[in-house]
Amino acid sequence: MSDLRSRRVAVVADSLLDPLLDELAARSFGVIQLPPAGLEPATVTAWLEQTAEHVAEFRRTGYEVVLVDDGCHTAELERLLADLGVPPLPQYAIQPPSTSRLTPET
Amino acid sequence: MTGGPAPRRVAFVAHCLLNQNAKVEGGAKRPAMWEPVIELLRERGYTIRQMPCPELAFGGARRFWGVREQFDTPLYRRHCRRLAKLVAAVVEQEAAADDVVLIGVDSSPTMGIDFTPSAPRWAGEPNIGEDDSRLVRGDGIFVAELKAELAERGLPEPRSTGIRHWFPDYEPEEELERLRGLLR
Repeated sequence: MSDLRSRRVAVVADSLLDPLLDELAARSFGVIQLPPAGLEPATVTAWLEQTAEHVAEFRRTGYEVVLVDDGCHTAELERLLADLGVPPLPQYAIQPPSTSRLTPET
Repeated sequence: MTGGPAPRRVAFVAHCLLNQNAKVEGGAKRPAMWEPVIELLRERGYTIRQMPCPELAFGGARRFWGVREQFDTPLYRRHCRRLAKLVAAVVEQEAAADDVVLIGVDSSPTMGIDFTPSAPRWAGEPNIGEDDSRLVRGDGIFVAELKAELAERGLPEPRSTGIRHWFPDYEPEEELERLRGLLR
């Protein structure tokens, strides 16, 4: 039985999920969604705890994990990851828009 | 005459539908996500809320395949209930939504909505030989705990269905029709 997973995971701010979902899928990143705005603080913490536990397990088993962040939950996520012995995640480099249309016609 | 605001629709989805890396080894059919359901949800204007993966968190990325009978322990149920409390809290705080749906995975002992795998004799050495598990009617363990938690909070049970991409007679068009029928 073949397994097609990429072993690449992106932890994604909710505000960036829809704008970047196509790009992340094209680059074979599975997504872990961060909490959306408007939730009660205790719910945000519970959500981030789950995120940290998932990330810790992926890191423990050799998966690539990156952060696609808008800054809303960075500090709390990093604290929760540190509690599990996981260093801050590398930031994902959002692909620049295509510049092909800027090529002058000759 | 002005129109009202666009209806707000929210879909709570099983973790692996956005992150195939969470599947048990051997179970990922796509590199990243299960695009058919994600694309349909986006097409219909649903806000996606990804649920945590109880199995990944509890059994790890290198867990063995399992059926409902193996997972149905008091401690695993307690674990699922903890996660169900989180999801139910989000459902509660999305109270302004006009429509909420739940999409699970019907071959999962944990996330099954209409079907879940059963094999009464699986135990011991991780060598099942010929797979004699069957898909039986019923909730996965997390789904059962989520329904109980929602009921305790007086919240309605969302309309739901499960992805069946691991069914031996899987028909992608049947699934898309079933999903379209679920969504508004």
